[in-house]
Amino acid sequence: MASQERPVDPHDIADLHGALDELRDEIRLRFPAEPAVRSRGGASELEALLAAVRRRIGTLGMVERSGAIDEFGLDEDVLRRVRPLLDALVDRYWRLHLVGREYVPERGPCLLVANHSGVLPFDGLVLSHAIEREHPHRERPRFLVADWLMSLPFAHATLAQLGGVRACRENAERLLASKRMLIAFPEGGKGATKVFRERYRLQRFGRGGVVRLALEMGAPLLPVGIVGAEEAHPLLAKLTVAARPLGLPFLPLTPTFPLLGPLGLLPLPSQWVIRIGEPISLEPYDARSASDELLVAELNEQVRTRVGSLVDAALRDRDSVWSVG
Amino acid sequence: MSEPDVVGITGLRTTVGQRLVERLLARGDGLRVVGFDLRRPSRMDERVVFHPIDLAEPTAGSRLAEAFRKERVDVVVHAAFRTDPTPDLDADHELETIGSLHVMNACAAADVQRMVFASSTMLYGPWPDNPNFLSEAHPLRGHPAAHSVNDRVEAEMLLADWSIRHPKTEVTVLRSGWMLGGRHEDRMTRYLSLPVVPKLLGYDPLMQLVHHDDCLRVFERATVESHPGVYNVVGRGVLPLSSLLRLAGKRILSLPAPLLYRMTYFPSQRQTGDAPDGFYAYLRHLWVADGTRGWAEFGEPDYTTKEAWMSFISNRRMRRYR
Repeated sequence: MASQERPVDPHDIADLHGALDELRDEIRLRFPAEPAVRSRGGASELEALLAAVRRRIGTLGMVERSGAIDEFGLDEDVLRRVRPLLDALVDRYWRLHLVGREYVPERGPCLLVANHSGVLPFDGLVLSHAIEREHPHRERPRFLVADWLMSLPFAHATLAQLGGVRACRENAERLLASKRMLIAFPEGGKGATKVFRERYRLQRFGRGGVVRLALEMGAPLLPVGIVGAEEAHPLLAKLTVAARPLGLPFLPLTPTFPLLGPLGLLPLPSQWVIRIGEPISLEPYDARSASDELLVAELNEQVRTRVGSLVDAALRDRDSVWSVG
Repeated sequence: MSEPDVVGITGLRTTVGQRLVERLLARGDGLRVVGFDLRRPSRMDERVVFHPIDLAEPTAGSRLAEAFRKERVDVVVHAAFRTDPTPDLDADHELETIGSLHVMNACAAADVQRMVFASSTMLYGPWPDNPNFLSEAHPLRGHPAAHSVNDRVEAEMLLADWSIRHPKTEVTVLRSGWMLGGRHEDRMTRYLSLPVVPKLLGYDPLMQLVHHDDCLRVFERATVESHPGVYNVVGRGVLPLSSLLRLAGKRILSLPAPLLYRMTYFPSQRQTGDAPDGFYAYLRHLWVADGTRGWAEFGEPDYTTKEAWMSFISNRRMRRYR
């Protein structure tokens, strides 16, 4: 990776590609028609050689900036830059206590199912960051983000760079099929936007989508309880009328927002505990079971109970909301 | 079906039409090409038999059928779609939707064995609730402000319906991504050639490109071989719009959506009938297609999104476009 030391000018690469294009056009001009003539003149070999050279140059170009962006928009360079900030946020600001890291598999697809809270998807970001630090050799887990949030200006670009993926079946299947870790919040909007007095009360787990997904993709299900995100953004009330002209489902009313303006979007320094539970065994079942609605509903409720007990355990781990250490 | 002897191409003057003719003739296997367009192309190989035709005419169907029969056309490639919408919404509709219907009817009447339909991944439409990769089975939703796209959605719907009623004609639909390369010009390439490129503030969708060589290779194979079905024809990889522009050394002007939508300013200085949001919507939300099916059927593309882009900008630089 010599190019790491001396950054490649993308324009040099562009010019090389242009020169290759010209060469290829030249070959095509000189050996136009018959395949027999082409093979005797070595035109096919020349073209194959050019294609090989092009591929080599292509990978060379990938070293520089925009090459570090994956198919879902995760940007390694942005991550590298914000990693110190995320570390500080997780360790110092929220004093995260992580339990059950040993349950995260060393390889293969994995579906982490967690409770959801806090309007902004800090819970997904923190969980994926915490797991990535524990398993540096594994690719950063992706977290699913609600539709409406992903369609807001800035949100999509920013969240995608940090590993957020719009929550939909196709995306989830693609991620698990490529053996990646995926964080899902089956409570969805119901969980993320519940008011403060209902904190840590689990909502309905959708319609069993996570269970069906795990069955179909053959991915282990890991229940996760996240505590702290509720207090980071305590939602006192939802202002629906004021939100209408902005095209938002509601405007959150927190102790600091909209009182302090955009500054109020900053989360409060609650103490966070994340408990990852033992994998839920789906062993006796296979992909065909995914169409058994009653079984899916039953398993879904089991997952919900497990997440619920992990949340309760995590709440007991904490002396108080603002405790240090 | 065996190898075709005669290929009919509608839209001879479009990039797909032009380049496909070149490729088919370069095969050197005695394939005959019959071309249809409004006017004769300025440069055309003398081996091509040209028939002038206006697809928007009410009798275009029977005239096409007659020509197909006379020339014994085996395969029809329908590529007569505008690269840019015009201010005349009705004329666009007549060409893109009704014109396609004429071509289908002519194929049925002349017992054409195979039809290759040039479509676009733009037909899926840019929507915030699109999955990151749109498969061929995803519904074609177009966009309310992009009338030309909606006309083509309608044409493809008609085709799906038509192919059920005419099972004897094999249909291949090629939905190509945003195509770059060579002399191809459309409003996307003109937009990208602006010295300062306006962009929607707060939106930076992942873009997907396909090099025209890869695209035309697929068209060529779909013409001479049997590949019935619908395929996305796209390059591997995606890049955010801002990265594309930065790689080209462009200055980016980020404007709030309402402001940009109201600017009916276009690089060609030419009024287009599309409301600008019909265009900018494609620079706002995702409309990336899943190319897996097409790659499995037609082989790996030579250019990734990024390489297609690099090749494009270097071409522009050599022609001092920047």
